[in-house]
Amino acid sequence: MSTESNDSAPAKRSQIQQFWHQFKHNHLSMAGGVIIAVVILLAVFAPVIAPYSPTTQFDTPEGKYHPVEPGTEIVLTNDGEVVERGTAYLGTDHLGRDLLSRIVFGLRTTLTIALSVVVMALVIGTVLGGLAGYFRDSWLDELIMRVMDVIFPFPSLILAIALLGAVGIGKTEYTTALFGTVTVPGLAKIVLVVTIVYIPRFARVMRGATVREVEEDYVDALRSIGISDINILMRDVMVNSIQPVVIQGTLYMGTAVLISAGLSFLGLGVQPPKPGLGVMLSNARGYIYSGEWWFATFPGLMIVFIILGFNLLGDGLRDALDPKYDSRGE
Amino acid sequence: MWKYIVKRLLLAVPTLAGVSVIIFGMMYLSPGGPVDVMLGPTAASQEMVESVRAELHLDEPLYIQYARWMGDVLRGDLGNSWTITQGTSVNELITNRLPLTTELAFLSLLLAIGIGIPAGIIGAVYQDELADHLTRIVALTGISIPNFWLGIMFIVVFAVEFQFEWAAGGWVSPLEDPVSNLQNLLLPTIALGTAVSATIARMMRSEMLDTLGANYITTARAMGVPRWRVILNDGVKNAFIPVLTVIGFALAGLMNGAVLTETVFNLPGVGKLLILAINRRDYRIVQGVILFIAFVYVFVNILVDVLYAYFDPRIRLGGE
Repeated sequence: MSTESNDSAPAKRSQIQQFWHQFKHNHLSMAGGVIIAVVILLAVFAPVIAPYSPTTQFDTPEGKYHPVEPGTEIVLTNDGEVVERGTAYLGTDHLGRDLLSRIVFGLRTTLTIALSVVVMALVIGTVLGGLAGYFRDSWLDELIMRVMDVIFPFPSLILAIALLGAVGIGKTEYTTALFGTVTVPGLAKIVLVVTIVYIPRFARVMRGATVREVEEDYVDALRSIGISDINILMRDVMVNSIQPVVIQGTLYMGTAVLISAGLSFLGLGVQPPKPGLGVMLSNARGYIYSGEWWFATFPGLMIVFIILGFNLLGDGLRDALDPKYDSRGE
Repeated sequence: MWKYIVKRLLLAVPTLAGVSVIIFGMMYLSPGGPVDVMLGPTAASQEMVESVRAELHLDEPLYIQYARWMGDVLRGDLGNSWTITQGTSVNELITNRLPLTTELAFLSLLLAIGIGIPAGIIGAVYQDELADHLTRIVALTGISIPNFWLGIMFIVVFAVEFQFEWAAGGWVSPLEDPVSNLQNLLLPTIALGTAVSATIARMMRSEMLDTLGANYITTARAMGVPRWRVILNDGVKNAFIPVLTVIGFALAGLMNGAVLTETVFNLPGVGKLLILAINRRDYRIVQGVILFIAFVYVFVNILVDVLYAYFDPRIRLGGE
């Protein structure tokens, strides 16, 4: 933005106003925004909102560790003394833990994974795509985009599974020459693997946007006064062409939730006892036939709610910012 | 046309070579490495480790190991299983499970096209009217429902609540019992097809909007060519293009979804094999299945592109 003259400031502002005007009148995207705001608030204030701790195992008339149906009274006893008493609004899981509290805390895990993935993939993808687009048709462009082309077309979940096969499932201790023993938690592996899957998607969109931006007159003008390519790219071109990438990011938040929940469901993602929405579905699989329908129903509904929120929001942002923008990128 | 096909096939070579290097490297990055996996967690004697290493040619330099593996792969031999069914050929494991996965994917694609394409056309023709808004909301919701969760819900309702025997999963060959084969696949097909149909509807809508607004349609109509002739002469042939594009894109969704759906409904397909192999760290099977999926994916996409080029000369001649 450093080279933007002050004259263009009012134009920018009115652009934002115009965007807000369009966005405000799109009821579906407003609904998406509200859903996401609610979900984020739930996750941030989980300790206040969740009725109980996500790991407390409650007692039931049938004994300890026995799942109860939604709306059942639960008690926590210690040496025969009642410590806590309340209602499990969504029932308890196979270890007697309150399902509602686990869902609220599980949101934290699920959103952390999705946000880390999208932010990391967006940053790396933007830099790679920006470089490729700015130095279009150079060896650098060829190198970056060829590597991206190998990763991009692969079905995302299967690629993530393959990469997880390489790094292993769950917490692993690596012995390195430099740092001694390094422990990599399972969560970090999921983030790493899904990030790799998403980098090419951002890189391709960014490359397209950069190629168009470089055609602008101001780029030639900056070059002619001796500003270096890297400076032009980092300070002007990237800033000006990042908009479609950010929209893409919102849309990919939804699919990142989907793919990480899928991995956890397959038993390859977040490992119990950490509460995560996908892990809860994975646990629920063992109890489908014994009648504990609430195990799978409520965490799944929450996943649908989150993904729907991001999809509505992303769709609305795309329409408001650029009606002609093609969702498939380039 | 032939020139185009050869070009596309040649372009697939570096992609598949890249994939094969990644898949090969995977085994060596894996914690513990292949010998640990094969001999299990119990402390094996040094001689045992050495003999297994020699047997698997792990004592040779990496590039020779890669060449050896690639040589086998190019001859169509994906190697033998390590842990799940020790010694069984991976080819056999995949071929045994392929009919199920193919049938599931095919039926789901049919369902998805059957719902998605009409929905997309309705959306495009009635752009910004009630029908368009409704199909958009339904499609958006469809995309947001994870197919594995939908599958679980189906089981909860149909197999547990209503006690339908056919709803519980499992698979019999259509050659043995075509009726129960289709019954068993009904719910998995709906679970997998729904999300894909939503994706197809969204893409079809935007493709159709482009086609309806294309210059040649407007020009033809302006030149006084009757509406039905425009549709017959240009519309029918051009209608294949968006459909093909959509199928190409839907393929990735089908493949991802098949892994999850097979796990939910306990269907012994290729996707289930992959998950089983990952959990048991049978990397020979993992390599084989991933490479197989990569091949299928790349070649179906080439097929789609070639058909695409056949229907749209701009693509075929554009690169020349």
